[in-house]
Amino acid sequence: MKVHVKHWSAVAQWRWNTGNNDQDDEGDVCGICRVPYEGCCPSCKMPGDDCPLIWGECSHIFHMHCLLKWLGTAPSKQQCPMDRRPWVTAERKIADTSNNPI
Amino acid sequence: MTSNAVRAQVAAKWQDAFTRLNRAEPGITGLMSFSEAWTLVTTFLKPYDLNDPTPRTQYDMRDIRTAFDTINKARRLPVMLENFLEDLHKSEHLIAREVEVYMNLYESNSDTETIKALIFRLVEWYNAWKPTPELGYTIVAAYTLDFQTHLFSILPISFARGVKTLVAATLIGTPSQPSHQHDRALWQAFDTLSLIERYETLIASVGYEYIESHVLEICTGQWAEPMLGNLRSWMIDKIVPWMLWPFARGATNADEAKAMMQGVGSRFDFHMHKTLCDLRTREIFDIIVDFPDSIGALQDLKECLQRVDQRAELVQSIRRAIKKRLLHPGADTKDILLSYVSTIKCLRIVDPPGVLLFKVADPIRRYLRDRPDTIRCIVASLVGDGESGDSLVDDNEPVVPLQQQEIENYGDPDWTPEPIDAGPDFRASKTSDIISTIVSIYDSKDLFVKELQVLLAQRLLALKDGNVDRERRNIEILKIRFGESALQMCEVMLRDMTDSRRIDQHVQSQHATIMHPTIISRHFWPALETSGIVMPGQFKELQHQYAQGFSHFKPDKLLRWLPHLGRVHLELELEDRKVDADVPPLEAAFIELFSEKNTWTVDELMSRVGAVSRSATLKALATWVDMHVLKEDNESVFRLLSIAEESNSGTRPSAPRSATVQDELPPVMSIQQQQAEQMKVYWKFIEGMLTNLGALPLDRIQAMLKFAAGYDRTIEQLGSFMEAAKREGLVTTKDGLWKLGN
Amino acid sequence: MASISARRLRKELNEIHAEGCPCGIKLLNADNFETWFFSIEVLGESLYQGEVFKLMFRFDANYPISSPAVQFVVDQNIQAPIHPHVYSNGHICASILGTEWSPVLSVSAICVTLQSMLASSKAKERPVDNDRYVRTAPDNPKKTRFQYDDDTV
Repeated sequence: MKVHVKHWSAVAQWRWNTGNNDQDDEGDVCGICRVPYEGCCPSCKMPGDDCPLIWGECSHIFHMHCLLKWLGTAPSKQQCPMDRRPWVTAERKIADTSNNPI
Repeated sequence: MTSNAVRAQVAAKWQDAFTRLNRAEPGITGLMSFSEAWTLVTTFLKPYDLNDPTPRTQYDMRDIRTAFDTINKARRLPVMLENFLEDLHKSEHLIAREVEVYMNLYESNSDTETIKALIFRLVEWYNAWKPTPELGYTIVAAYTLDFQTHLFSILPISFARGVKTLVAATLIGTPSQPSHQHDRALWQAFDTLSLIERYETLIASVGYEYIESHVLEICTGQWAEPMLGNLRSWMIDKIVPWMLWPFARGATNADEAKAMMQGVGSRFDFHMHKTLCDLRTREIFDIIVDFPDSIGALQDLKECLQRVDQRAELVQSIRRAIKKRLLHPGADTKDILLSYVSTIKCLRIVDPPGVLLFKVADPIRRYLRDRPDTIRCIVASLVGDGESGDSLVDDNEPVVPLQQQEIENYGDPDWTPEPIDAGPDFRASKTSDIISTIVSIYDSKDLFVKELQVLLAQRLLALKDGNVDRERRNIEILKIRFGESALQMCEVMLRDMTDSRRIDQHVQSQHATIMHPTIISRHFWPALETSGIVMPGQFKELQHQYAQGFSHFKPDKLLRWLPHLGRVHLELELEDRKVDADVPPLEAAFIELFSEKNTWTVDELMSRVGAVSRSATLKALATWVDMHVLKEDNESVFRLLSIAEESNSGTRPSAPRSATVQDELPPVMSIQQQQAEQMKVYWKFIEGMLTNLGALPLDRIQAMLKFAAGYDRTIEQLGSFMEAAKREGLVTTKDGLWKLGN
Repeated sequence: MASISARRLRKELNEIHAEGCPCGIKLLNADNFETWFFSIEVLGESLYQGEVFKLMFRFDANYPISSPAVQFVVDQNIQAPIHPHVYSNGHICASILGTEWSPVLSVSAICVTLQSMLASSKAKERPVDNDRYVRTAPDNPKKTRFQYDDDTV
């Protein structure tokens, strides 16, 4: 017998590719606002592209808006909130799709 | 031996009397003439027997007057009066005899004409024996009093009954106009005999009863128009003219008549209002159900209540009816809600300050709060889609933000104190609209918002064409009611839908695929369980492909599938036929495995697909069995019917048949959980049954559940539910009987 | 829109209610998102054994981007701990409250840090410039430019 699939209306959740997608739990949160990455920062209403993440070379990840708020203050000294190293935004490679779970 | 003194006294007295009687006439002529006069008058006055055929002596009134004068001059009138009354007493037996005759007749035939005849006859007797008015008021009055006293002492009780019927006839029979000869004579007769005074209460009761029966006759069940105006005119046309005779006799003009009738008139008027009020109070529940067609009745009730203070009775009546006919397990939550809304609207008409509503609403609200599907009902109605019949939402009411219960603002210049019968808990809600009142059943709006999200999620995921216009409109309306921030999640849900289409277009343009996922933002949709099932074969491949395409388009993101959600439209190419099917992914996963090999055990299937319960597996497989694609060879072994086989239970055409598993809304929880949720509602019934009836067999429970609104489970499904309840310790079973307890 | 401080503090509060405070720390009052009070004790053997202190946290609308103003409460019932970095008016000289503040820190983290600052103290004495400082200190310790002379964190 052959099964010909004509149309599949599937449902999926989008996740940020943070390199940490094995657990199927609540998901990691942004250290600054304590809201999950897939949620939005306190200043935004919509998650996703409108409230994206920012990756640091130190491998720490935040909501971009949260981090920029921090970096915009003098006391931040342009340091990563987690490790106090000078913040450098990482170069994003083309999607590492091997992370895609099946 | 009398002494000289006594003798002298007597002589003096004798002389006195003689002088008086003689009146200074010569000799004893005075005495003689007095004697003649006395004889004449007493004979004239003496009561005679009417039945006596002997013709009466004709008297010359001048002689009578002269004689009367004579007696008067001799100052013997009082004696004559006494004499007359004695004669009267002696003759009264004549009347008594006749009364007896008439009343015996009446008691046997109950014919009011008999009473009427008696009354007229009594008038005859009265008139016959009545002294002429020329003889002075005193004698006539004394006569009348005596006559009536005697009469009233001999009339039996049944006479009163007769009078009442007669009076009633004057009212009911022909239209009573004062000029109506028949009745006029009757009333005059009544008057003559002072029956009106004696039977005043009786006559009034005739009025009351007639008013009451009229009101009941024309107003019962007639709710569309107000009836009070009608009734008032009728009172004026019918009752007032009738009242003139008994209650306004002797009035010389309209104003005087009015003044005389005022007391009775206002009592009649009150009685009319009270009758109508009582009637509407009895009918109130059905009036509410009939709203808005019953608006006339409500206006009447409002007016009546201002006159007749029966608000407490009305509250009682509504409460009783609601408890008996509305708040019980057999009633649909939807119906209870609609009735509540109708009750609100009705009582707002009858009692604008809202005290009555407040007293009545509490039981309904508490009951609704206990029902698990109330919120769902309300929410579904808020996003009314018309198909659900009567909506709670009045499309003509402007959409306003939900109002909170306000605290009293004493600084408000328009502030008025609470009505006098408001209880201690009463809070005047300032014209809340219906929706606010309903939502305020629950203390927080959060529950509603949550339920809204669930409802929206279900609807969005069920959309076939991705057209979200309708839902967008609903959300806009709800934003006004609940506020923007409360509905932020819904906004995100809607945007996810449009984004999904855009993304899909992109991914398709790179690599066309038959897969069209809805991509959701996990924290903004209600709890959709992730599922660990693994889609086998080509499905896996499709997922992988799509995910790659997605990440190519959005390098920062990944997809996490919810494989148990969604739908698959597929075509099975079997050896001898094609089968078209539109099924949930689980079913699709299983059938895909059958393209690897023809026979599978349930365990094998479960381990390949993973993370799925046995019952879910069996249910999914059942779908294919129904379509004659699979067959259960024996316990837990399924075989592909590459070639169609005759099934035992009737044949179905083997022509390609498009089968759609019944369109369910995508489970926000799993299907099992959803059904479990619904069963919880029916659990209440079952619990009630077992409490009241003791132990029951399954088929009895099933039979009774069928009476519950919307119950559609098979007995097998009931069976497995009861088993589940048993595992939780809620019920036990013995010898096929179920009972409560552990 | 609620301020970011309100959102963040609500989450911290939920966590405290759900998981409790660290040992020795107790939440006294969190009725609003402006000022919170904790009681703090040092457990185990330390110079401050048996003593209970009270901490006051003040937040502005930009918390956690901006650091909270933290000090020990001093009134007729309670004193500030006697510690080289704690002034008698309750102000604290700790880098975590100043230059070393980071938005990923939290109220709990500060409490724990201060707790360990007390626990590791070698001497019960006031800062050398205590009297002068207290005379001219501002109400809000954040206004002070503290010199952090040794590792307090």
